[in-house]
Amino acid sequence: MKFPRCPRRFTAAALRGAAAFVAGSLAACGGGAPGADVPAVPAIHVGAGLAADQTLRRAIDSMPRTLDPSLLTDTPAQKVLDDLFEGLTALGLDGSIVPGVAASWEVSADGKQWVFHLRPEARWSNGDPVTSADFIYAWRREVDPKTGAEYAQALAPIVGAMAIATGHAPVASLGVDAPDPLTVRIVLNSPTPYLLFLLADSFMQPLHRATIERWGDDWTRPEHWVSNGPFVVKEVVIDDRISVAKNPLYWDATSVRPTRVDYFPLDTLTQVGRFMAGDIQFASIFPNSQFQWLKSRLGAQVVTGPYLGISQMAVNMQGPPFAMSRDLRLALNLALDRRILADKVREGLQPPAFSLIPPLPGYRQQLPEWASWSDERRHAEARRLYAAAGYSAAHPLRIQVDYPTNEDNRDVYDAITAMWLTNLGAQVEPYNEEFRVLLQNLRLHKPVLFQDSWIGDYPDPFTFLQLFQTGFDQNFGAYSDPAYDALLAAAAAEPDPARRFRFLEQAEQRLNAEGASIPVLYYASRHLVKPYLKGWQLNIQDRIVSRYMYLLEHEGR
Amino acid sequence: MLKFLAGRLALAVPTMLVIATLAFGLLHATPGGPFDTAKRMPPEIQRSIEAKYHLDEPVWRQYLRYLGDLAHGDFGPSFQYRNTSVNELIRSGLPVDAVIGSLALLAAMLVGGCVGTVAALRRNRWLDHGPMFLAVLGISIPVFVTGPLLILVFAVQLHWLPSGDWRWGEIRYLLLPVTALALPYVAYVARVARGAAIEVFASPFILTARAKGLPTRTVVLRHALRPVLLPLVSFLGPAFASVLTGSIVIESVFGLPGIGKYFLTGAINRDYTLVVGITVLYGALIIAFNLLADLCYAWLDPRVRLQS
Repeated sequence: MKFPRCPRRFTAAALRGAAAFVAGSLAACGGGAPGADVPAVPAIHVGAGLAADQTLRRAIDSMPRTLDPSLLTDTPAQKVLDDLFEGLTALGLDGSIVPGVAASWEVSADGKQWVFHLRPEARWSNGDPVTSADFIYAWRREVDPKTGAEYAQALAPIVGAMAIATGHAPVASLGVDAPDPLTVRIVLNSPTPYLLFLLADSFMQPLHRATIERWGDDWTRPEHWVSNGPFVVKEVVIDDRISVAKNPLYWDATSVRPTRVDYFPLDTLTQVGRFMAGDIQFASIFPNSQFQWLKSRLGAQVVTGPYLGISQMAVNMQGPPFAMSRDLRLALNLALDRRILADKVREGLQPPAFSLIPPLPGYRQQLPEWASWSDERRHAEARRLYAAAGYSAAHPLRIQVDYPTNEDNRDVYDAITAMWLTNLGAQVEPYNEEFRVLLQNLRLHKPVLFQDSWIGDYPDPFTFLQLFQTGFDQNFGAYSDPAYDALLAAAAAEPDPARRFRFLEQAEQRLNAEGASIPVLYYASRHLVKPYLKGWQLNIQDRIVSRYMYLLEHEGR
Repeated sequence: MLKFLAGRLALAVPTMLVIATLAFGLLHATPGGPFDTAKRMPPEIQRSIEAKYHLDEPVWRQYLRYLGDLAHGDFGPSFQYRNTSVNELIRSGLPVDAVIGSLALLAAMLVGGCVGTVAALRRNRWLDHGPMFLAVLGISIPVFVTGPLLILVFAVQLHWLPSGDWRWGEIRYLLLPVTALALPYVAYVARVARGAAIEVFASPFILTARAKGLPTRTVVLRHALRPVLLPLVSFLGPAFASVLTGSIVIESVFGLPGIGKYFLTGAINRDYTLVVGITVLYGALIIAFNLLADLCYAWLDPRVRLQS
């Protein structure tokens, strides 16, 4: 999923002017001018006891296209569905994996066979028990081409999934079975240590077959809704709100404190206004450009942390100038002053990226040697490589870099191209295109140099490394390196997680040596949270579920 | 009169056809489709989705199918929101825009009309210059400035009113968006009314009325009001169609579920049916309200004769 510049997250160019202005207008009235008479946001006093009203008001980036877990395509929908359904595994307070409908599980020695034992007390919101058949039904529905699930590949690690999704095998051949109502068995193509994360995803959550068969597509309407998570849908108004209420039949309902959660689909700027007015308690995002200003005004209510995504550029390996010239690829890499991008352009919000994979637990990030060099040394080496590639002041590199239209992007690309001009003399033209237009061009392998940002589907290096695997769908630069592919294949066959990581680390080293991509910045999750909202923790997937949240008594909003 | 109506309605049908065709053609010619995502789906699944929405058919057949449905008042299913029809979206969004838009225009006519008339009566005095200066400001400051400023003052600082959202029947949710939307219209109406009033006050029939010794009140209300309203009526027609189909900025700033926002996200996401549907609706409303404005014209101005 999750091409990070998902178009639904952003309103059109027409609103961009508005966006820029509000930033300005708020700043002008607020903390903009030093020494100005700043009308402070009224103070909030937080008590120790629980608030009487436990209604959460959260913003999401945009209106989900659907609440059908099989058909999910956008991140906002996933955030809502995380509260509505529960898979075999679930998300803990800190975003880690905890037992969900499955109370326990075992994995075979070769890492390919998993057996899950369901808790007998798990119930649907209509009182029916949650059984293994509900999972099998949901997974078969996901990969059945007739369902039209755009992200059916999410189940690719399961035996037979892709053959079914491509219409080459019957649905019943999916490598899953239910020996009894409380046992689910999954057979995988290769050891997949991140399976437990996949099981918490919407695509693998169970579905209530009778409801779907009775109501068809209409089953997601509030009046027909049946789910097995902590909350159930009560009201959906497109582009206004999704209201969910606590599900009293959820097996762990006693630990769920919110009685109701309202999600408001709002663009980044509107979220800031709503939050400051006290109308929402949790903003899913704020504009990059307002980071320092918001911090000066809201202090600890501004919350940021690492997010499993990278902003990078990739090059077209099918033709000149990059296919034949590793020197040129490395020259562009070395000539970028990433710390300036991170500190000045992004004002400290996003950390600099010298390599593809963001920091992950257990994985040793492979930084290239030059990451620790001084600017002078790095620039000198970049110029040497640039000259070795055959370019000079008289014969400069003249190309364009394509990126999806977005105000935040523009600042970064203006800075990047300026650095290339100053440090190398390369004339790179920043060129923005609407997301869908760029995507179409990428599929045709037209752009030579382009933004290739990516948000990981699960916290594992492979979700990033696959971008450069031969034949992978989103390998838009058509990068192909047999040695690299061999390392990924070795990792896929390796049941021991530690040894698997060693293979992946070698693969990352290889990417760095080849200059396959030009990493720029890692992503950061960014939220605004009221001080009286507790029971949440930032996590690298930025999946912060409502079930652990609660509100404290407070004065002021 | 009837002949006039029949003529206009006969002309409306081909106009609507042209609008629908252009919108349909332009949208289908735009690069990228409604189901393009960064992750490419297996071709079988793509075919299954395309068959569901008839995207697998040649464009001319999709066009004929669309026109056929349109003739029955069916705008088709939304591509963006699964299991939601464009008719449903319009049914839920249009009333929101209708309430906010009518209130804003009503405020514009009452406030703007009065201010403009008074300014004309007190021409070149402070009661003229003051309001007209404000009117110029009102016209030149766009709503994406006034909207956030209103939110900043009344929601963030004072906590008097909600910063957005929509609840049927709750007036406090209406005040800020209606005010923000009304301000430029108030200003515009005030200026137009002033200009018209000055012209009317100088015309012979008003001089006659004054010469008869009628009090100013009677002169204004009985004789001058109708001709002053004339230019406003021709402005009101398209303005009403425009506010009904939503102010994209107002809806975004205040987070209102109106059709302007549907239109915007629909265009970004290539929701063909939704965008064409709202375009056709907008065209129909413009035609209808222009016709209505012409009828009002005839009623207000005895010099106008309706001819097809």
